[in-house]
Amino acid sequence: MAVFPSTAAAQARGKYRRGQGARQAPDSGPAPTRNRGPRRTQRSAYLFLTPIAIGFLVFYVWPLLQTLGFSFTSFGVFGGNTWVGGENYERVVQDVTVGRALRNTLIYTALGLCTLPVAIVIANLLNRRGLRGVAIYRALYFIPFITLPSAVGLVWNWLYNGDFGMVNQALSVIGVDGRYWVSDPTTAVYAIGLVMIWSQIGYYLIIFIAGIKAIPQDYYEAAELDGAGPLRRFFSITLPLLSPSIFFASVICVINSLQQFDLIYVMTSANNPALGSTESVLTLFYQWAFEENSQGAAAALAFLLMLLIALLTYVQFRLQKRWVHYA
Amino acid sequence: MPESATPESAMPAPATAGAYGGTAGPRRRRFDKGSVATHAVLCLGAVIMVFPFVWQVLTAYKTMPESVQVPPSFLPESWRGDAFREVFSALPFLEMLGNSLLNTLGRTLGQLVFCSLAAYAFARMQFRGKNVLFAIFLSVLMVPAQLLILPQHQIIQEMGLLNSVPALFLPGMFSAFGVFLLRQFFMSLPKELEEAARIDGAGSLRIFWSVMLPLVRPALAALAVITSMWSWNDLLWPLVVNTDPEAMPISAGLTSLEGQFLTNYPVLMAGSAVASLPMLILYLLLQRHFVQGIALSGSKA
Amino acid sequence: MRRRSLLTGALAAPVLAAGCARDGSSADSAGGRTRITYAIWDPLQVDGMRKIIRAFEAEHPDISVKLQVTPFESYWTTMKTAMRGGTAPDVFWMNAVNSQLYASNGVLEPLDPFIERDGVDMSEHPPELVRMYTYDRTHYAMPKDFDLIGLWYNKKLFDRARVPYPDDTWTWDTFRDAAAELTDPKRGVHGVAAEMAKQYTYYNTIAQAGGYVIRDGESGFDDPRSIEGLRLWTDLIDRGWSPSQSAMTDTIGRQLYLSEKVAMNWDLSAMASQMYASPAIKDHGDVAVLPKGRQRATTIHGLANVISGKSEKTEAAWEFVKFVSSRPAAEIQSREGVTISSLAGTQRPWVESMPEFQLQNFIDMLDYAVPYPSSKHTAVWENLQPRLLGGPFTGRGDIAEAARTLARQMDLALEQEK
Repeated sequence: MAVFPSTAAAQARGKYRRGQGARQAPDSGPAPTRNRGPRRTQRSAYLFLTPIAIGFLVFYVWPLLQTLGFSFTSFGVFGGNTWVGGENYERVVQDVTVGRALRNTLIYTALGLCTLPVAIVIANLLNRRGLRGVAIYRALYFIPFITLPSAVGLVWNWLYNGDFGMVNQALSVIGVDGRYWVSDPTTAVYAIGLVMIWSQIGYYLIIFIAGIKAIPQDYYEAAELDGAGPLRRFFSITLPLLSPSIFFASVICVINSLQQFDLIYVMTSANNPALGSTESVLTLFYQWAFEENSQGAAAALAFLLMLLIALLTYVQFRLQKRWVHYA
Repeated sequence: MPESATPESAMPAPATAGAYGGTAGPRRRRFDKGSVATHAVLCLGAVIMVFPFVWQVLTAYKTMPESVQVPPSFLPESWRGDAFREVFSALPFLEMLGNSLLNTLGRTLGQLVFCSLAAYAFARMQFRGKNVLFAIFLSVLMVPAQLLILPQHQIIQEMGLLNSVPALFLPGMFSAFGVFLLRQFFMSLPKELEEAARIDGAGSLRIFWSVMLPLVRPALAALAVITSMWSWNDLLWPLVVNTDPEAMPISAGLTSLEGQFLTNYPVLMAGSAVASLPMLILYLLLQRHFVQGIALSGSKA
Repeated sequence: MRRRSLLTGALAAPVLAAGCARDGSSADSAGGRTRITYAIWDPLQVDGMRKIIRAFEAEHPDISVKLQVTPFESYWTTMKTAMRGGTAPDVFWMNAVNSQLYASNGVLEPLDPFIERDGVDMSEHPPELVRMYTYDRTHYAMPKDFDLIGLWYNKKLFDRARVPYPDDTWTWDTFRDAAAELTDPKRGVHGVAAEMAKQYTYYNTIAQAGGYVIRDGESGFDDPRSIEGLRLWTDLIDRGWSPSQSAMTDTIGRQLYLSEKVAMNWDLSAMASQMYASPAIKDHGDVAVLPKGRQRATTIHGLANVISGKSEKTEAAWEFVKFVSSRPAAEIQSREGVTISSLAGTQRPWVESMPEFQLQNFIDMLDYAVPYPSSKHTAVWENLQPRLLGGPFTGRGDIAEAARTLARQMDLALEQEK
């Protein structure tokens, strides 16, 4: 456990007193760093990185380069690729379904990001001191995350069922006429997005609970001595000190949402009339690559998606300086 | 409402007893409206979270025609466990559970070791090419898993590992997600800890192992849980590398119960409910580690 | 090999034993027996297949067969990946959608040399089925079973509406009139489920109207007769005699039929055993031949066994493939009641396995069955269908216009195949 607790605690306390605690991070992501460490640290840093770097090279970077190659070929289903240059990329740019899939994907992403505030609030509630049954709540909120996607899809399709589903039964009680949520082109994407939020709350809860737990206790004690109320403690300690976790979660959330696949795939059957308005870039990728055997064009599509992800991630890293506080 | 009755306080770490984040001071406990409201909100949330799981279990007790009948019946006509028995006879269930366990263990241990090392280097060390390397690592995170299936399959095949347990977990042992997650946690630790240790003459590995790593235990627990879930429920990859039922994890095995035209839902639901139990247990076990948090408070000294 | 031992040694020491043990057990020949792998996707047929394998192994003690069940959803993805890597199973199930793709790429073993050598009579299987698996005048597969579409109906709902049961005198008009009579909004019952489900519904009526889906590499969806076949269904929805496609996305026709919410449903012969398992349908359900349009037609599809071109155990694989389509195996399969064996004269056990249903109707329909339409990249234009026909099947837009758009896009896709 902590080797130098008292030093740390003293410093932590002192820091709170100085202001809101958080100092600017010495390093904030891929911004250029000028000062390099001593030679010895440099060497051990590389040693620390070697094992995973080997794994990445073998299992990710090399396959990725191969796939990049595929995207410039007409991909033979059973081998034998022929070089076609940028033809696949042209197809992707020209295909109207890609634009639609992109629009849907962005909606999923916007909805996915809504998970974060919900998860932060719940994580905070679960951290209330002396609240009974916290362990039980935590386990219950976690259940969606451990349920197989096919089971999740099945159950939610039942709930959303236009004629016999519980959602519409509940709505009819308050006099609202329900719809065929998942097969109506205007609602399907949101209906699925809601399930997406539902299924990943438990996941972000884990990150945020761990994040809140990592906040040194002393900050709160000091704040309480200063007479800070719960709301102020939340906004002036929890949020800023949780910001590395929030930043992490939002980067992951954007990446995951842009790669949304499983849920859409299991919730929309092949003859859903709303298919065009629910498919994401990745379901389209899957359809092209594995159903329609155009791996080349599918790879091109995936690379364009990755470009978008990289761009959004880069923007997030640039913006983090404004709001993320590292110790 | 004695304090000792709360599951929280049953946990060994005194740190958690400190007041943070909440409104409930010891003096206001008895008339705590805030607490009631909190429970109301959390309960409602819990019902929404758990309902589908309950439905899953209820479906497992229905007969096949009952499970697809409309309007759906909420409770099964009778509580027969046929589906549970059937899932055990239709699949080499225990063997598959074993594979899942090894797969999960392999990936999780691999990630805990490899990712924490890399994350520490990225968060706390200065070296040439750090940002470029980190960007490359992150880009691994941006690759949709489905994209790499073909070349990855080929690599596993060249290693002669198709239809084996290592095939399941090898690529998954290396995770950009894990590096990123742990890096965030390492970065939020106070700098002074390391400096003090360095002054004491500790080397990088020592500082990492005995000073910094213990401090990110909640994050390690979080990573362990998240990785376990992903490995446990992973589907496409196992289906592609291990077509042999004896080498399949349970997630993949269960999907072989899905029919082309009509699925036997009770059996599938029974199977997936049983299959998610080990994860629930794991979560309950690891949850203690989040709760414990880091003992940065002076009380531990 | 060095790389492998290095990696497993360093990273996976504890599980190495498990991995190697498996490798050992899946070796090519276990105790002098040739071991072949056999991939299938339908969990319902696993029991039957196990019985057939046991019978085969009893007859061929030198060959052992390892069964692999992969869910249909990922079966083809897995298969293609394995094919590329050269690790495909020796024998596996093939369907119409994929047959031309595999055959044209040369990854299947041509069966003609074996068929000729062993004097296997292909005419003992329905000719449409044999043609489905013939590419460039070469046989690539042995049919094992077939499926047809029949008119499933609910006698209780017919009795209540006082409509006579369907029989072979029914035409489209009788069918439509019955759907109207049987619709009972007060009880939430519809006459029929007019689902946008190609093989079950409009592929049949397109053929009955005299139209076609694909012919000589061109789409037939813009043929006026094909449009007639489509309009039969959208019309039923527009008139309220069938739920709309939105409703049937949430609750598919089969489910509505099993729950006695529709009086008629066009469905697979392969569903018989599932219907039989439902007490209500066992009592009230039955099946008739499809009504006649301009002509009679029903869609036939069937599964067949193929041998991987990359298999090194072709001889053993052929012995097994031949056995699965032989009389003893066909009879085992037929008795299981899951699917109809394709070998002539082995269908009786299936027909008799569910005496409450007039399953003989399916056998009778063989005379005018039309093959499931397919091309090299069938999935491409199959995926277009729900996207373009979805509107008219939910009461938005005209079916003729949608069908013409579909034909245009399908022709573009077919152009790409060449």
